[in-house]
Amino acid sequence: VAVPPALSEPETLHPALWRAHRLGPARAPVFGTGFAALDAELPGGGWPARALTELLLPHAGVGELRLLAPALAALQGQERSLIWFDPPAEPCAWALEALGLRTRQLVVVRSRAPLKGRAREILPAADTLWALEQALLSGHVGAVLAWLPARLPGDALRRLQLAAQAHDGAAFLLRDEAAHQRPSVAPLRLLLASAAPDVLRVRLLKRRGPPLVRPLDVALAPVLAAPALARSRAGRRALPAAVPAPAEALPL
Amino acid sequence: MLWLALHLPLLPLEAFCAALPPHRREGAVALIAEHRITHVNAAAAARGVKPGMKRATALALAADLLLGEDSAPREAAARLAVAHAALAFTPAVTLHEDDTVLLEVQSCLRLFGGLRRLLVRLHDAVAPLGHRVQRAAAPTALGAALLARWSPAGRGSLLAGPHVSGPQAARLAALQALLDEAPVWLLGPGREHWEALQGMGLQRLSDLRHLPRAGLARRFGAALLDDLDRACGQQADARCWLELPERFESRLELFTLAENTEQLLAAAGVLLARLVAWAQARCARIAAFTLTMHHEARHAAPVPASVLRVELAEPSLAAAHLQLLLRERLARLVLPAPTLELTLQCHELKAGAAANGELFPTRAGESEGLVRLLERLRARLGDERVLRLLACADHRPAQASRSVPALRPGDGASPSRSSLRASARAAAPAMSALLSPPAVNAALPLHRPVFLLPEPLPLGERGALPVFEGRPLQLLSGPERIEVGWWDGAPEARDYFIAECADGSLVWLWRARLPAPAGQVQWYLQGRFA
Repeated sequence: VAVPPALSEPETLHPALWRAHRLGPARAPVFGTGFAALDAELPGGGWPARALTELLLPHAGVGELRLLAPALAALQGQERSLIWFDPPAEPCAWALEALGLRTRQLVVVRSRAPLKGRAREILPAADTLWALEQALLSGHVGAVLAWLPARLPGDALRRLQLAAQAHDGAAFLLRDEAAHQRPSVAPLRLLLASAAPDVLRVRLLKRRGPPLVRPLDVALAPVLAAPALARSRAGRRALPAAVPAPAEALPL
Repeated sequence: MLWLALHLPLLPLEAFCAALPPHRREGAVALIAEHRITHVNAAAAARGVKPGMKRATALALAADLLLGEDSAPREAAARLAVAHAALAFTPAVTLHEDDTVLLEVQSCLRLFGGLRRLLVRLHDAVAPLGHRVQRAAAPTALGAALLARWSPAGRGSLLAGPHVSGPQAARLAALQALLDEAPVWLLGPGREHWEALQGMGLQRLSDLRHLPRAGLARRFGAALLDDLDRACGQQADARCWLELPERFESRLELFTLAENTEQLLAAAGVLLARLVAWAQARCARIAAFTLTMHHEARHAAPVPASVLRVELAEPSLAAAHLQLLLRERLARLVLPAPTLELTLQCHELKAGAAANGELFPTRAGESEGLVRLLERLRARLGDERVLRLLACADHRPAQASRSVPALRPGDGASPSRSSLRASARAAAPAMSALLSPPAVNAALPLHRPVFLLPEPLPLGERGALPVFEGRPLQLLSGPERIEVGWWDGAPEARDYFIAECADGSLVWLWRARLPAPAGQVQWYLQGRFA
C-alpha cells in the first residue's frame, strides 16, 4: 500500500508537530545563546521568542546571568530593552557592564521584595503576576527576566505563557529547582547547577525533541584568572573524598 | 464666512447623567426647576412624563423617576467642554443661547482639507464628551444656529449643497430659501410671542417676512426683526469670541456618594474627557494633572479633601491612557470618607504635538510603548519600585551601583542617555560622583559579582577559613584591598576575596583589614557571581 507523502512525513502537516527522536522546529524566531554546544541542543538553535523559558536553579548565583548575557547583550544591541522582575539581590551596575549589558536599557521592577531601609512589606504576588503579564503583553520589551517563587499556581503559569505569545522577545522565568517536579507549560525548561568554577551544568528537562540524557557542561565567561582556577582544581582533587559534590546528587 | 453650529438638545440631561453611576443612567430621569419638570429622558418620556408637569404628577406616572435639580453651572461646564473641543479647530468659537456652540470655519477649511474632513474630525473630538449633537452649516451665525436647532427631518444634514459652497450671495439666497420654511418659534423673540403669532396665522418665517416691517416691529418689538435680518445676513452680527483659559479646572458634583474607586473612576472619566478637549485646544499634551476628591463631613467634622496628583513621564493626550493611570492610582488609594465632589485641575502642559504614529514597529514606537508600560507599572506599584541602575565611580560596592526611579516626570523617552543624566541630577547631590555609564567594554574584568547582598552576611569560621552553609569556602583569589571613603565619613578598609562554594559556585567575601578581636565575626559574604 502506498503511503501518501503527507503521512510518511507527518511533521510537514503542521508546525506544531515534530518527530520525537528529532529536535522540533522553532515556531518563532530564536535568539542565539552564544554557546554553540547549547545552541545545538535547543530547538531552532537558541532561546525561543514568544514562549516562556524556565531556568531552575539550586540558588541564585550559579552562573545563570553569564549564561544569558550573550543573548541579552545581542538584544540590547538591537536597541531593545530588558526588564528584570524581582532579582534576588541588588544587581551591580559595573558587573553588568562587564558582562556586556547596558544598564541604561535595563529596568528593574521590585514587585515583591522588601526595600532596603523600609518596613518589610511584601506586596501580594498578584501584583508580580500582573506586572509580568503587562510587560509580556505590551510587546515593547526585548527580554523579560523574572525571578518567581517555586510555588506558583498552574493557571498563573498558563496565563503567562499566553501573554508571552504576544511578546516578541525572550522571556525567562528563574525559579528554585524545587519546581522541577511540578508540571509547567513552558516549552523549554532547563535545570542549572554549578559544575565547577566558571562551568555551568545544564540539564534540559523539557524541550521539543528527545530527552537529553547527559547534562551539558557550558564554559562561562571566566571570573577567575588562570592561577586561581588552578588553585580551585588542586583543591577539588583533594576535596571529593571529604565532601560529596551535591550537584551530582540532584534527582532528575 | 462659513459657520458651523453644534446644537446640544439634551445638554442639561446629559450633564446630569454624567454624575450618575452607570446603572442608573438607563432608568427614567427628569430634571426639575421650581417644582416643574424641565427635561425628561427617553425612558421617562415613554412613561408619559413631559416637560412642564408638576413634580407630584410626574412621580405619580413613574414612581421610580430619578429627579435632579436643573443646575446652570453644571450645564455651563459641560457646554464649555464642547466649546473647548471646537477651539482645537478654529480660534473663532462663540456660544449662542444656552445650548449651541458656533464655529467660524471658513478660514481653516483649507488646513483641514475641506468641510467634510473637518466635520469628521470635529465629530471625533466632541464624541468623547458624550453629547447628542445636531450640526448645521450656514453663511451666517444665526442662520447656522437656527438650522441646527430646527434640524428638519428629511433635509439631510444641511451640511452640503449651495449654502456651503458657491459665492456668498448665492449661499445667502439658498439659506433664505431654507429658512423661509422654518417655523416661527425658532427665533428667540418669536418663542415668547408664539401664541400670538399662531393666532394671527403666522406659521413660518416666510409669513413674517411678507408682512410690513413697521407694523411687525410695533407689535412684537424690534428684536424679532433684528434676529430675522441677522439670520438672513441682512444685518451685521457681531460676536464675542471665547477665550481659552490658561489653567484647566472642572468640577463634577456626584449625585450619589461614591464609596469605592470604581464609581469615582466613572465620574473622573467625564472630567478627563473635558481635560483632553482643553489640552487639544491648547495644542499641547498633558504632563500632569491633579484630581481632588471632596469628602462628606463625618460626625459634623469636615474631612480634608484627598488630592491625587498624576504625573506622566511622557506627556500624552490619550484619554484611555490617562484613565488607565488614574485607575491604578485610585486602586491604591484608601478614601477616608465617601466622596461628594470631584475637581480636576491641570496647568502643566507640554507644547507641541506628539510624534507621528508609525505604520510599522520602529525603535521610537517601541521606546514610547516601553515608557507607557513603565508608567502603568509605576502607577500601580509605586515610584520606588520601578528602578534603573546607575553606575557610580566608587570602589565601595554599596556605593558603586545605585538604584534610582526609572521614570522621572518630564523625562523624554526614558531609558536614554539624556534622561539618565536628568535623573542623575535629581538623584544625587554630588554630581561629580556620578558618571554616565561607559560604553560597553568587553575588556572589563568580571571580578565584580552581579548580585550584591544589601547587607553583608556574617560568616562563621573554621580553621581560619570562612564557613558558608555548613561547608568551608575555598579562597581562590584575593585579597583585593579596598580602602577608601575616609573623606566622606563612611570609611571602609576591607580585603575582598573570591571563594568557591562546595557546589562550585563563586561568592565574594570580605574581611576587615585590621583583624577583629577573637570571638567576633571575621568574614562577611558580600555577593554572588551569577
